[in-house]
Amino acid sequence: MIGLEIHCQLTKLESKLFCTCKANYREFEPNTNICPTCMGMPGTLPRLNKKAVEKATMIAMALNCHTPERLGFFRKNYFYPDLPKNFQITQLNMYGPTSIGDQGKVSVEGKEIRIRRIQLEEDPGRLIYEGASEKTAITLVDYNRAGTPLVEIVTEPDFDNPRQVRIFLNVLSDLLQNLDVSDPTLEGAMRADANVSVQDGPRVEVKNIGSFHDLEKAIHFELTRQQSLKERGIEITQETRHWDDKRKITISSRSKEEDEDYRYILEGDIPWVIMDDHAIQSWKKKMPESISSKKERYITKYGIPLQVADVLSSDKYYSDLFEQAHHETNAKEIANLITTDLMGLVDTREKREQSKLIPKHLSDLVDMINSGKVTRSSAKNALVEIVKSGKSVAEIISSTGMTKISDSSELGKIIDEIISQESAAVQQAKENPQTINYLVGKVMQKTKGKADPAITLKILKEKIGI
Amino acid sequence: MSLAISAIDYINGIKNGSITAEEFIAKTLDHIKKQEPKLHAFLSINEDAIEQARQIDKKIKSGQKVGAFYGMPISIKDNICIKGGKTTCASKMLQNYTSPYDATVVSNLKSQDAILIGKTNLDEFAMGVATEFSAFGPSRNPWNVDYVPGGSSGGSAVSVAGLESILSLGSDTGGSVRNPASFCSIVGLKPTYGLVSRYGLISYSNSIEQIGPMGRKVEDVALLLNHIAGKDPYDPTTLTSPTPDYLSGIDVGISGKKIGIIKEMSSGAGLDKTVESVFRNAMSAFEKLGAKIEEVSLDMVQYTVATYYVLTTAEAGSNLSRYDNLRYGYELDSEGYEFKSYISKARRNFGPEVTRRMILGGFVPSAGFAGKYLLKALKVKNKLKKQIQSAFTKFDYLISPTVPVLPFRFGEKIDDPLAMYLADINTVTANLTGVPAISIPYEIRNGLPVGVQIHANILQEKQLLQAGYALQNTTEIPEINL
Amino acid sequence: MVTKEEIQNIAKLMRIDIENTDEYFERVQKVLSYFDILDKADIEGEEIPVQEISIENLREDQYAPFNDKLIQQLKNYKGIYIRAPKMN
Repeated sequence: MIGLEIHCQLTKLESKLFCTCKANYREFEPNTNICPTCMGMPGTLPRLNKKAVEKATMIAMALNCHTPERLGFFRKNYFYPDLPKNFQITQLNMYGPTSIGDQGKVSVEGKEIRIRRIQLEEDPGRLIYEGASEKTAITLVDYNRAGTPLVEIVTEPDFDNPRQVRIFLNVLSDLLQNLDVSDPTLEGAMRADANVSVQDGPRVEVKNIGSFHDLEKAIHFELTRQQSLKERGIEITQETRHWDDKRKITISSRSKEEDEDYRYILEGDIPWVIMDDHAIQSWKKKMPESISSKKERYITKYGIPLQVADVLSSDKYYSDLFEQAHHETNAKEIANLITTDLMGLVDTREKREQSKLIPKHLSDLVDMINSGKVTRSSAKNALVEIVKSGKSVAEIISSTGMTKISDSSELGKIIDEIISQESAAVQQAKENPQTINYLVGKVMQKTKGKADPAITLKILKEKIGI
Repeated sequence: MSLAISAIDYINGIKNGSITAEEFIAKTLDHIKKQEPKLHAFLSINEDAIEQARQIDKKIKSGQKVGAFYGMPISIKDNICIKGGKTTCASKMLQNYTSPYDATVVSNLKSQDAILIGKTNLDEFAMGVATEFSAFGPSRNPWNVDYVPGGSSGGSAVSVAGLESILSLGSDTGGSVRNPASFCSIVGLKPTYGLVSRYGLISYSNSIEQIGPMGRKVEDVALLLNHIAGKDPYDPTTLTSPTPDYLSGIDVGISGKKIGIIKEMSSGAGLDKTVESVFRNAMSAFEKLGAKIEEVSLDMVQYTVATYYVLTTAEAGSNLSRYDNLRYGYELDSEGYEFKSYISKARRNFGPEVTRRMILGGFVPSAGFAGKYLLKALKVKNKLKKQIQSAFTKFDYLISPTVPVLPFRFGEKIDDPLAMYLADINTVTANLTGVPAISIPYEIRNGLPVGVQIHANILQEKQLLQAGYALQNTTEIPEINL
Repeated sequence: MVTKEEIQNIAKLMRIDIENTDEYFERVQKVLSYFDILDKADIEGEEIPVQEISIENLREDQYAPFNDKLIQQLKNYKGIYIRAPKMN
């Protein structure tokens, strides 16, 4: 059985959870995005970010959680150099449900994963080890991250295998992007720990996992390790283990029993927030359409095929482009253009950030295709240029001569050339007409995709005589 | 020009030109210099005070707008932050700590042209009733230097009683303003929880403590409260209700008001006979003023000292965790230590009482003990709150002696933690319930001051000050010999 | 009744070296036994007292940097980092 604890930063906020420093600390030199409050200087008090409550509640609602009547905060006390106050302000449901959400559920490929609790909390700073290893090094601390708004999602141990975990995390990542609360592709924006046990055995917590890819590996390793202990009749101990990234194994953290007592107390500096229904309803209204609802709409309203709708709806970048570019009549073509031609060009966050493409490019391009001015193949080439330069579709088509060649005499000349070069293929086409596509491809290659495929086929057939 | 004038008289003196801020500050500093070896009210003195006074005099002369305090000296307890100055909490942990920002109360006073004359002594991190736990030596009671001045805001009370300052800001977690006010024969107010911003007050037990004004006269305390009360965006626990002018109508009297005497605080074995006798005199004074007096029982009061120490040690354990000596603190080379052993070593710089309370504060919320101690204490707090609310449906005020015992000699209670903690029995209820309470100096018996405590309902500071003012006018405190 | 060992453990948890447990044992034990008085309080069904705030009174999400270079006012400041002792 596998359960997850996922930490997700609310990267779309302006300020930190309890002070006015920048939520996105990544753009700063070390220790320049700090203030007396996030440094826990004596006498400072936390001032809860209203938008963080709103965005975290949206996550809770999207994961079908109950939202509490009052939101309460607690202090988790432990000493660590990345924690300026030596306690973390977090949430738990010690005195009734007061965390941002609880008792939620998500369906992953038909399997229901229950969400035990969602809590809003502050991220600690970051430790940097200068020297050979963690054990010998001097510890340097960068507090820029301290106080970044973090949402922790705790699941019940409902996963059967690492594959389910991976799919769930992908679904969750898409969901967070769709809600516009977080960009999980930013380094460190989404982290997960796993609780792993076999056949009602004790729970082992696996921490320090750098990527989702490694998480899958770590869980797999841990399941195998526990299974093998069990088969050999060796007792499994309840403990915390760390994922060793280099050796790709989990290792036991030294048991620190005294450290396990977090002495939770109420955070008296943050009064309990009355979550009035009016506010919750207004947030609910503001929530973007869910991925599943988008997908449904794409299929039923526009007749977009299931797989295309799936890809389009689950990626906020693509679905935003689609929503802004399409109208009643061109939706299907826009969807195709995005999922077949654009996808490879903007598949990473960096590429997306650098891309000059705007929705109008897509609708203009589809208009050009539909009106027969460019071929699909040229359109793909045009997209490469658009993403790079942001020039208008008209400009690119005219300046690079991408206008479709549909003139029969011009095409005829080119086809004659191909026929003379490809006598073997011509012979084969005569015997098996389906292989004529090879020759069509050659014409396309020669014309850099500008040849009108329908006319090309027609002339080819005439000239070969099939 | 006497240093023993009230805040109101000081302002009048400035306005009619009979004194200047510079003269008054110079004389005050001179007096401080003479008295400090004996009293030790201050941990640091504002070096720029004279210059600041000159600037204010200049403003007055040239007819510019001047703030409400006209250069009046006000001392500040050394657990309240002033930007660029040392804030030590009377602890070796913070002996070199300089705050990077001003507490809200401090910015308020600065903008009203108060001169923050110095930082006053306290029990380390405000934990104590005598300033005996200051890491830098105790303050002494100006009425008799062999006696403690009370605490934890002992330095503040001494500075006001000893004429080293006109007003002072203390902090009150379980009586820390009212107890030394009573022991030093001055007025001290613990405001409603959330009336005064705690931003910049170094937390000891954040869910119940408040900054409180201290002065020689009730009207002086009202004036100071006027400028520190109100909603502060930097403190989310401040209340949003608008604040009245506490000074206007302070003399309306209390005729026809109903006063309840809290039985559990005003009788019994723990109550000193002299204190009881002074309190009886105050009761008859109230009756003469036209108030109706009746006894009232709040039976949860018997659990309040235990409740107070459970809640405050739990919060202190957490609040004081940040003192790990990594980001600020004192010089201690980390060479040869790993993280755990380094901070454990560094934190030995806490004094014995803070260390004891940290150990208690480790126990009460720990997994094995939270249900036994912390949860019960929270529930007592809730029930006590309901009891006092119910009492306020019948009474306008609830009264008791401020402290059940007389000021004691140095060292007298330091070795018996329970005796020491029980000195808080009459003051902790206001903190646990959030209601305001004031200590009014009533008599000096055998050279030792005795004060009377009045509680009012939440946010009824105006009515509370009216009652205090009325009571103040029924007694004559002799002048202090310094 | 609390033991010396428990006091030692709690001191460790609170990260304070106490060289001599006896120094604290008697006082802490005395106070803890005094806390037992709470067992007698009739508090059946009481709630946990908390302060409340409405959503409107929470802080708006606005970025405003702290203008002073805080890092330079801190100790153990080395270049651009705070230097902590080595971990375990």
